[in-house]
Amino acid sequence: MNPIPMEQSLMVAAMLFSLGLIGLLVRRNVIFMLISIEIMLNAAGLAFVVAGSHWQAADGQVMFLFIITMAAAEVAIGLALVLRLQSDLPTLDVDAMDQLKGGDDA
Amino acid sequence: MNTTDLIALSPLLIVGLSAVAILLLISLRRNHRAVATLALGGLALAMASIPQAAAVAPHHIAPLMMADGYALFYSALLLAASFVVGLLSFDYLEQRGEQREEYYVLLLLATLGGLVLVGANHFVSLFLGLEILSVAIYVMVAYARSSPLAAETGIKYLILAGTSSAFMVFGMALVYAQTGTLEFGPMAAQLMQMEDFGLALPGMAMMLVGVGFKLAVVPFHMWTPEVYQGAPVPVTAFVATVSKGAMFALLLRFFAAFEADEAQPIMNILGLLAIASMLAGNLLALLEDNVKRLLAYSSIAHLGYVLVAFLAESSFGDEAVTFYLVAYFISTLAAFGVISVLSDGKSEADRMEDFRGLYWRRPMLATLMTAALLSLAGIPLTTGFVAKFAVVAAGVKAALWVPVFALALGSAIGLYYYLRLVVVMLSPVNPTDDSNSEATATDDAMSTRAPNPAILRPKKVPIGPAFALSILAIFLLGLGVLPTPLMDFIKSSVSELR
Repeated sequence: MNPIPMEQSLMVAAMLFSLGLIGLLVRRNVIFMLISIEIMLNAAGLAFVVAGSHWQAADGQVMFLFIITMAAAEVAIGLALVLRLQSDLPTLDVDAMDQLKGGDDA
Repeated sequence: MNTTDLIALSPLLIVGLSAVAILLLISLRRNHRAVATLALGGLALAMASIPQAAAVAPHHIAPLMMADGYALFYSALLLAASFVVGLLSFDYLEQRGEQREEYYVLLLLATLGGLVLVGANHFVSLFLGLEILSVAIYVMVAYARSSPLAAETGIKYLILAGTSSAFMVFGMALVYAQTGTLEFGPMAAQLMQMEDFGLALPGMAMMLVGVGFKLAVVPFHMWTPEVYQGAPVPVTAFVATVSKGAMFALLLRFFAAFEADEAQPIMNILGLLAIASMLAGNLLALLEDNVKRLLAYSSIAHLGYVLVAFLAESSFGDEAVTFYLVAYFISTLAAFGVISVLSDGKSEADRMEDFRGLYWRRPMLATLMTAALLSLAGIPLTTGFVAKFAVVAAGVKAALWVPVFALALGSAIGLYYYLRLVVVMLSPVNPTDDSNSEATATDDAMSTRAPNPAILRPKKVPIGPAFALSILAIFLLGLGVLPTPLMDFIKSSVSELR
């Protein structure tokens, strides 16, 4: 019963989401990881807009507005933490962040 | 929005307004004591408004929120937990000369997020509550700016929580695409009419990633030990209780709308997660020497236990879940409260070594810690025992044999590491040989490091934490001996759920 356009556009959203996830897993730089999360969130937003237009309702777009707002709040905190981190470590490589470990070197 | 809506929402409004009032107060004058008083007053006032809200319950604030007995019970639980965390935080922050005032804004906002979550009846309120809670916690986790671990902990939590939120939102979009509604009740009704869930099934599975992350069940538990270790102790206590409790309340409400056999595929996944959490959490805790990390793994196991009662999908199961969460809140807050009191301005008392001989130095604190650990282990006469009994009874009643067996096995393993810490507290301070220590592989690593000198030097417990800890101690043992009044109260509160 679903018209094909919704499935196709949901497919685009799913691809976008997967690209973000792959970026998150492959990248080792914190900034790029934050960008990847942003892509995943926007993919979810796109899926909401698509679903909203399928149901002829504003719900999807309302949800998208909330998602954008939340992504902005998250990135603001993320970048603040990155700045803090940069003063402690000379690199943005997540593999260098290994101070939290089990047992005795805390 | 009419007056009844406002009364039903008064706990949320009061917490939100207190956060704004604190922001204004900080801009006028920085005074840690005044700000903390205002925050605790706001939480107490919000708690005092719950009876008024209960008078108009159940009230549906269309379409976003539901203010019924269930939501109000959990609201009271979250507010009480935040109050305890606030009391612990004051003295913790007082010892650290940093910007302390904004912490309370975050504490109140995170609590507000939790309150939205327990009343959520709609995807929008779910999302908003979850994000208000999470974004405030990102900052709280990294709040101790002088600690070299803070920023690392914060960014790790942020990236993982952000990813899990993305999964959750994408899942919501798929469920919405299938059902065309964002409200829980109509959504469940829609899905039950369809012969199969279609897109809603992968959607719900993706939502489980977000839920599982917040609850820290295996395999979404990786962040837990790191964040527990790196965050300031009161924040760890908050993450362990309020954040997880609010999420669980939401999970219960969401699935209560479904018929038992409709959501079977999802329930099977959750069953696997529960079993994995109970076993992995307890086994990994065996290897830990850091008490905060140990409690992290133990909390993973505990959320697995609660899931067993959740899987029972009966009102008896709902009661068991609620009672277990209350017991878990009390025991966890007591354990972290003791760690927080033992910590000083420079370091936290989170190593096993810091607890050596605690009975001889701080008998009261050691006794409370023991009671909390025994409660977490589920030993009779503590509230943890009654709670675990209720969970097992719910599991047996629903014939969930495999999860119940995993629960029993997990509890048996868990006993070892809880008692290990009790034994360490009983041992003398400077062991002359290894025979009276508990002969673990890391013993040599521990003995090379002297115990924290400030912990050896007894100091008086400040009034705030002393008050919080005595209340927790009373509940810890009181509910273990006399659980019936709370049991009955929970029964009447959660009965509206199904």
